[in-house]
Amino acid sequence: MSRVNGAVPTTIIVAGLALAGYALVMTARNRRMDVPLLTAVGVVEILLLVEVGIVVARLAGGERPAGLATLIGYLIAMPFVPLAAAVWGLMERSRWGPAVIAVAGLVAAVLMVRLHQIWPVIHV
Amino acid sequence: MSEPQAPPEFEPGPVASRPDSTRTGPGRLLIAVYALFALAASARAGVQIATKFSHAPVAYSLSAFAGVVYILATVTLAVGTPAARRIAVISCSVELAGVLVVGTWSVADPATFPDATVWSGYGSGYGFVPLILPVFGLLWLRRWRREPR
Repeated sequence: MSRVNGAVPTTIIVAGLALAGYALVMTARNRRMDVPLLTAVGVVEILLLVEVGIVVARLAGGERPAGLATLIGYLIAMPFVPLAAAVWGLMERSRWGPAVIAVAGLVAAVLMVRLHQIWPVIHV
Repeated sequence: MSEPQAPPEFEPGPVASRPDSTRTGPGRLLIAVYALFALAASARAGVQIATKFSHAPVAYSLSAFAGVVYILATVTLAVGTPAARRIAVISCSVELAGVLVVGTWSVADPATFPDATVWSGYGSGYGFVPLILPVFGLLWLRRWRREPR
């Protein structure tokens, strides 16, 4: 696994894994979606938007990665991961709502590693 | 654990979704992961085919095919009617066959796959989730065949 430099991506990886862990504990304890979990999802969402902003600023500065189309795809899809998971999870009134959030947390962390593989200059 | 809002999993009552469909309960998680792979496989195939199709036509065509199968499975699992469940069973079966055949093919003949697909190496690039996902999908659908409602 590539080393991911930069404060924001690193924070997203830690936050995403923490969110996944917390949500899995809720699933194991048979808990439904609640406000603290939604707040945690909101934090990851904001962090992802910050990261998108940083990458877009670099693109605006004239830098280009080899896989530009893939990078743009990631930038568009990334902010929708926590949003879609929150909506889909809230529709579920059982332990499987938090399980959906756990997937979103893991995906946020994996996205940062993949982003770094697509464009290694993203060190922030 | 003193909060009043932690009742048993399938408590009846005026809640939005009881486990009365393939999209509720564990199906909620299953569809979330399927939707993720539908997006990942089809977006990846779209980029690959649009930018460098001649580089690895077999791999990219298989990526696109995998994307379509994932989309079909996601939608039919979410719809959950008996007809949709039958299509979902076919989708998951094709997916399982696909990951096994393409996985074996990519190991036996790496030259055909200079670039990876979701199913290369039995889905090793995606944490082997492509291999276990159709198994869980078929198990979940089997349960619904025995309990139609």
